[in-house]
Amino acid sequence: MRHAAVALAAVAALVTAAGCATAPGPGAGSAAPAPVARSAVAVRAVSRVSARAGAATACNPKAASLAPDGAPRVTTGSFMAKIRARGYLIAGVDQSTYHFGYLNPLDGQIEGFDIDMIRAVAKAIFGNPDKVQYKVISDAQRIPDTMNGSVDIVADTMTITCDRLTQVDFSSVYFDAHQRILVLNNSAVNSLPALAGQKVCVTQGSDSGSNLLRLSGARKPVLVSVPYWTDCLVLLQQDQVAAISTDDSILDGLKAQDPFTKVVGPELTDEPYGLAISKQHQDFVRFVNGVLAKERSDGGWAASYARWVGAPVPQPPPAQYAS
Amino acid sequence: MVSTTVQARKRQEVPDVPAGRRRFRLDLRTTPARLRLLLAVLVLLSVAWGALAAFAANTYASAASGVVTTREPLSFGALQIYSRLSDANDAATTAFLTGGLEPAAVRQRYLADISAAETGLEGVTARGGAGQGSTATDLRALAVDIPVYSGEIETARADNRLGLPLGAAYLREASALMRDTLLPAAQGLYDAENASLGATSARATGLPLIAVTVVIGIGIGCCLYLVSRWLSRRTNRVFNYGLLAAGLAIVVSLAWLAFAYANARSNLLTAQARGSTPVGALARVDIAAQQAHADESLTLIDNGGDDSYQSDYVSLQRALGPGQETLLTAAQAAAAGSPAASAVTAMVADARGWFNAHASLRKLDDSGNHADAVQSALGNLPGDAATWFGQFSAHLATGMTADQAAFDSSAQVGSSAFAGLEPGVIAVALVMAVACAWGLGRRLREYR
Repeated sequence: MRHAAVALAAVAALVTAAGCATAPGPGAGSAAPAPVARSAVAVRAVSRVSARAGAATACNPKAASLAPDGAPRVTTGSFMAKIRARGYLIAGVDQSTYHFGYLNPLDGQIEGFDIDMIRAVAKAIFGNPDKVQYKVISDAQRIPDTMNGSVDIVADTMTITCDRLTQVDFSSVYFDAHQRILVLNNSAVNSLPALAGQKVCVTQGSDSGSNLLRLSGARKPVLVSVPYWTDCLVLLQQDQVAAISTDDSILDGLKAQDPFTKVVGPELTDEPYGLAISKQHQDFVRFVNGVLAKERSDGGWAASYARWVGAPVPQPPPAQYAS
Repeated sequence: MVSTTVQARKRQEVPDVPAGRRRFRLDLRTTPARLRLLLAVLVLLSVAWGALAAFAANTYASAASGVVTTREPLSFGALQIYSRLSDANDAATTAFLTGGLEPAAVRQRYLADISAAETGLEGVTARGGAGQGSTATDLRALAVDIPVYSGEIETARADNRLGLPLGAAYLREASALMRDTLLPAAQGLYDAENASLGATSARATGLPLIAVTVVIGIGIGCCLYLVSRWLSRRTNRVFNYGLLAAGLAIVVSLAWLAFAYANARSNLLTAQARGSTPVGALARVDIAAQQAHADESLTLIDNGGDDSYQSDYVSLQRALGPGQETLLTAAQAAAAGSPAASAVTAMVADARGWFNAHASLRKLDDSGNHADAVQSALGNLPGDAATWFGQFSAHLATGMTADQAAFDSSAQVGSSAFAGLEPGVIAVALVMAVACAWGLGRRLREYR
């Protein structure tokens, strides 16, 4: 029975990956959400159906990760053992996203909700959350750096998408964000169509820009790309762009730095955040998912949420696995 | 000989000449008429010589004094604007690199740099006016964007004090403005001013005008000699003292002109070779090195975000050298034999030390020791990148000051060689005219 389940899981994983490779378009954080599977079993069922039908289905970014092998353990020969031998975890992070991953100018430390997730992983490997080397990377570098092994893990407000799943693995969802719009307080803009023909700032390498172009139809805004989200706020403060559009998590951090701004409009997309890990380290993906499961259950996640995002603290996103 | 040709020509022309002029021409057959004509011609030649010599003296003197009083200060002022702006950006980025509260000394350095750059800009505008073409554009860009730059730096500082990561974004914005707009404008201004300095120096030392003047002067001297020979044959007097005095006068003014020119030329060429040429070469080193230093800081501030600053550093290091066709080697060659030579040699050694320290700094940062890398970029221990760069900058500044002083003193001496030359040659030409008139007048009176 158990053997059969593992074999099935392997087939499902293959099929899921194939589905992602061949059908990158419709599922990628779209406004019409992909069918949300409530449990790993349901996902397996869907995969089995499609495998039997012989047709590629849209992948489910929220349930594309690998299930943990129980509580996180550093087993001999695993990637975690290599990290432990090295002495520190190498994490790719952002230093400019307030409340998620930012360099606090007051003490020179990188802090935030994303950073708390990394610290939890380091604690599980070393027993010490400080054993981390933070490598600041831009949005555009997140995937190349994960793939070429220059970082072990990326925690950088990174949305799990089917496109990206073909290149890297993700942990289970640790935060649910939604793309919205940030404008100055005196702006009349209150929705995406109102931005037709106006300049909207996004970062290079984020999927916020392509989302805007896809969702705005014929009434497209003019995209302005910069390296970091704070660069977007500089442009907004200097009236060089009409709006910034990205995940509400990031926009809230920008709004906190300039009280003369507001987040407007409906939630445009669904942006499930995951920690990106190289496809070569599936043992590490399972390990990290074990850490996240523990964070969800022991109140660590809620404490970080309360500290960085604020009250009210919702239930953590449920863990769903492809296998 | 002169008289026969005049007579021959006169004989042919007589039938066509109107009555009034015929009388004048006919008069030329007599010696007094000829004397009168020669008197008029010699006085005119003397006055013309005075005008020509004064023009040459004025042209050289004004070019030489232009070098000393206008072009050189403008060129140096433009260089100061560049160097202070570049240092201001370096100080502003360093202040951020330290994390937490910025050190007071770094803040002071930034403020002093910005005010020096603005004062320099005022000075250049006051001396050189609004400029033309690209110079006008550069001056306008500097006048408009220095306040914008310092505004962005202050915003960055305010946000930083509130603990907001937005501060770093304003710093990036300000730094980009400095690199993409302000420094290129300052460099354009310096290049233009330096080119004007070269052109004015070339005018102050140019050969054609003095050559033409001397040839004409010698020609006039020959005329005086021929006239006095004709006169001595006619009158059986060996010397006409008036013409002799006029001859002496033109010899004096020729010698004065030639001596002043040769003296000024040699001093101005020395000022160039031992002053402005090495200073220009050092300035190019300074510009590249400061940019590379800012790259070092920005790479650390950006903290691995992208490697464009580091690749910029690498290409600047390649441009600096030392090696064939590099800035450091060019500066060393230009400064050889100038007062800056020893400082420049030390500077080249410092540059090597800094490049090595930078390489170890990058190794530290790339292997995760960001804090140690920052310490090397800011510290003052032997072997720290900051220590090497500090020594490098100090030697560079010493070299520039020494050669700037060498330029100033040689150019002053060169320019003063023309002192009094213009009124002098005018006075001598007047003496010539009077002497000619007096000398021929005395002969003329003998016919009354």
